Amino acid sequence: MRFILVDRILELEPGKRITAIKVLPVSEELFRDHFPGFPVVPGVILTEMMAQAAGRCLDAEGTHPGRAMLGKINGAIFREWVKPDQEILLHATITQNRPAYATAECCAEVEGKTVCSAGLFFVFVPYERFAAGHQDEVLLAYWKTHPDARPKPI
Amino acid sequence: MTQTESVAWIAQVFEMTPDQLTPDTHRDNVPAWDSLGVLTLMASLDSDFGIVMTDEDIQAVKTVCDILDVMRRHGKLG
Repeated sequence: MRFILVDRILELEPGKRITAIKVLPVSEELFRDHFPGFPVVPGVILTEMMAQAAGRCLDAEGTHPGRAMLGKINGAIFREWVKPDQEILLHATITQNRPAYATAECCAEVEGKTVCSAGLFFVFVPYERFAAGHQDEVLLAYWKTHPDARPKPI
Repeated sequence: MTQTESVAWIAQVFEMTPDQLTPDTHRDNVPAWDSLGVLTLMASLDSDFGIVMTDEDIQAVKTVCDILDVMRRHGKLG
């Protein structure tokens, strides 16, 4: 399993809000164990999906000293089971956006129902820590279809 | 906000109970007062009181009393 937990960005206002989508197919190996005969998406994976969506919203802005990384989870609530192959809409609204940290209120929605929500806290890890020249493929795909949304280099 | 209320607020930021902190408590004795804790403190001061800590504040804050001083300077502590 690759650890890209956002398939596609649907709406993006860099540094402010994002809506993205993810489907975990039943063929994913994790469903063999979580749980046998009762496959559901783990809460930690749902949380990571929301974090990856919010992180991309922050990274898309291009103004921070590094890449947004999840630092803290505040009050995550899991309300409904999410089954394999269900379309999961990921919503994040950035509530604080400072050079050293950011916070986001996030939720995941399936078939019109909120299945989980969390307040997430992000720190920024310097770009030098990552592979040189790495570019996020999900953001690149979004910018390919929304070229005007791409921030201009400073 | 009174000093007692402020200490209780600081305790909540660092996931402690108010009786575990006094103004003299040093950051070395607060397990959650690490680099992430500093950012959490900054975010909480910002969201709850509209206080944006300066780089000097961040360097200077070593005890609960130092945080109270920041709050006092911004008029949030009576």
